[in-house]
Amino acid sequence: MLLPTLALRNILRQRRRSILTALSMGGGYLLLSFSFSLVYGSYGNLIDMFTQDHTGHIQIHFDNYLKKPKLYKSIQANDEVEAVLDKHAEIVSYAARIHAAALAYGNNKSAPVSIVGIDVEREKTTSMLVKKVKQGTFFSNVMNEDGYYSAMIGYGVANSLRLKTGNELVLISQGADGSIANDIYIVQGIVGTMTSWEKNRVFLPLNAAQEFLSMPGKVHEYSILLPSSDAAREVAEDIQSALANSGLKVSPWQEIEETFYKSMQADIQGNYFSLGIIVFIVFIGVLNTVVMSVLERTREFGVMRAIGTNPWRITLLIILETCTLALFSCAIGFVVTLPLIAWFTFEGIQLAQSLDIGGIPYDTLKGEFTLPVFIIPLLVIVASAAVVSIPPGIRAARITPVEALGSH
Amino acid sequence: MESLIKTTQLCRYFGTEAIQVKALDHVDLEISSGEFTAIVGPSGSGKSTLLNLIGGLDNPTSGKVELGGTDIAKMTGTELSNFRRDHIGFVFQAYNLIPVLSAAENIEYVMLLQGVAATERKQKVEEILEKVGMQGLGDRRPAELSGGQQQRAAVARALVSKPDIILADEPTANLDSKTGIGLLDMMKQLNEELNVTFVFSTHDEKIMERARRLIHLADGEIEEDEIR
Repeated sequence: MLLPTLALRNILRQRRRSILTALSMGGGYLLLSFSFSLVYGSYGNLIDMFTQDHTGHIQIHFDNYLKKPKLYKSIQANDEVEAVLDKHAEIVSYAARIHAAALAYGNNKSAPVSIVGIDVEREKTTSMLVKKVKQGTFFSNVMNEDGYYSAMIGYGVANSLRLKTGNELVLISQGADGSIANDIYIVQGIVGTMTSWEKNRVFLPLNAAQEFLSMPGKVHEYSILLPSSDAAREVAEDIQSALANSGLKVSPWQEIEETFYKSMQADIQGNYFSLGIIVFIVFIGVLNTVVMSVLERTREFGVMRAIGTNPWRITLLIILETCTLALFSCAIGFVVTLPLIAWFTFEGIQLAQSLDIGGIPYDTLKGEFTLPVFIIPLLVIVASAAVVSIPPGIRAARITPVEALGSH
Repeated sequence: MESLIKTTQLCRYFGTEAIQVKALDHVDLEISSGEFTAIVGPSGSGKSTLLNLIGGLDNPTSGKVELGGTDIAKMTGTELSNFRRDHIGFVFQAYNLIPVLSAAENIEYVMLLQGVAATERKQKVEEILEKVGMQGLGDRRPAELSGGQQQRAAVARALVSKPDIILADEPTANLDSKTGIGLLDMMKQLNEELNVTFVFSTHDEKIMERARRLIHLADGEIEEDEIR
């Protein structure tokens, strides 16, 4: 207990200077915590938006479908895959889908569209589609009495083809077996906005899409929803190992939205660089304080050396003093930061103008309230304090007793 | 008697070759265990330099310092620290207690470095405080003690780990003559009771009277070695 006691008393000995240094480090802690909360919070919100909106946290495809999607790269929707998904405790929901390109025709107009065949019931709990029906209703997977399946169309398709609910929609495409696919559907709902993901899409019940594209019992993807995006990689690995040798590729959202993920990482790295500069500036001040403290106590260190204190103990004392002050500063910073980040996370900052991100309104900037937001800045501050105190600590340890005792 | 301190052709020069100050010049000296020796001489005669070299606080320009047969010049920084911790006690002119520690904690400090158990430390601190006449003052910080009390605490700190030798550089210089004589009497008593070797520097005539051996230094050389 010798060194901690000495460290604490030395901190208290120059109270005004210690308080100023603590405020500087506490300010650094606040700034770091808030920045981490902002960065992780806003990216977390964005990730939640697109994963919960349509991509899901994990997708299963045939081998390299994700990189080069082709109609024939389908997978057999079977009990084996679904049994694995049903069994995994962390999976909230999943839904099978088919994707294909087609030409849509209606009201004497035509437009290129993307067909998405969806499992009508499972899609309701896997994506936000059910909440995005702007006109009409969410469709069912049964034919109407005239023998037509229902379709839901994106706002862009409805606009291009001047279609309303109840209108007929003709789709022309190529079947997986090379045949010409064409059929008539009744528009039952219009979904999304002019900027949303659904804009140029036509949604068909899965069985109708399989029939249309000559893909009986086959799908292109399983979209899987988890409670949060954090565990996506781990769960994807679990599923992949459970489906080993099946020829299927299980991809977490980081691979599904690879471009977004990479640009997010680049942005975070840039942010770290800015924060690094702030930390550097804070710790230049701290270094100045430690150097002053060491110079003032040269004689004292000389005495300590003379009566038998090992050089490394003196270095350790300086490091301990700075780290104790850093911990104290972080404690002060934490008391101020905790309510601030709680407010920022649960209330957030209302944007003056709502942003439209893929058809999803983004009007409140929110932070993240998690342990790393508070722990990482603490570690950064304490580690930086330790690093900047090493050179003055070594200097103090190298003091020659006879020279130090002669100093004033 | 067994020789505890031995210097052989000990030199300590300062400055460059062009402007060289010979603080100590070829000093041969032997001090035996249990002696109460004063190194005397005017200011600049080399008293403090000699004590610093004997205590391993400074390095000689040439020559050798042996303590109990060990050549201290061959030791590394850590070895020398440990040697000083276990074998040498220091009493400085300016007391030099650690200001953030109480008198008792200052005394306890060296034992903490030695790894002495807490109960033994407390007991020894109590005993030594009583020996130096500072009962009840152990909790006071140096700033709350008089100069004489601080120097008694410094002597207690030097003594508590039972070193072979105590080096005191002008221990009474900052004290009034009555307090200085009281301190010297106490050191002499401890020397007799505990058989600890005391080597101190002084230029105070009243203090010199109490020493059994006087080593007179002038211009870095031993002028006279007087045993009473």
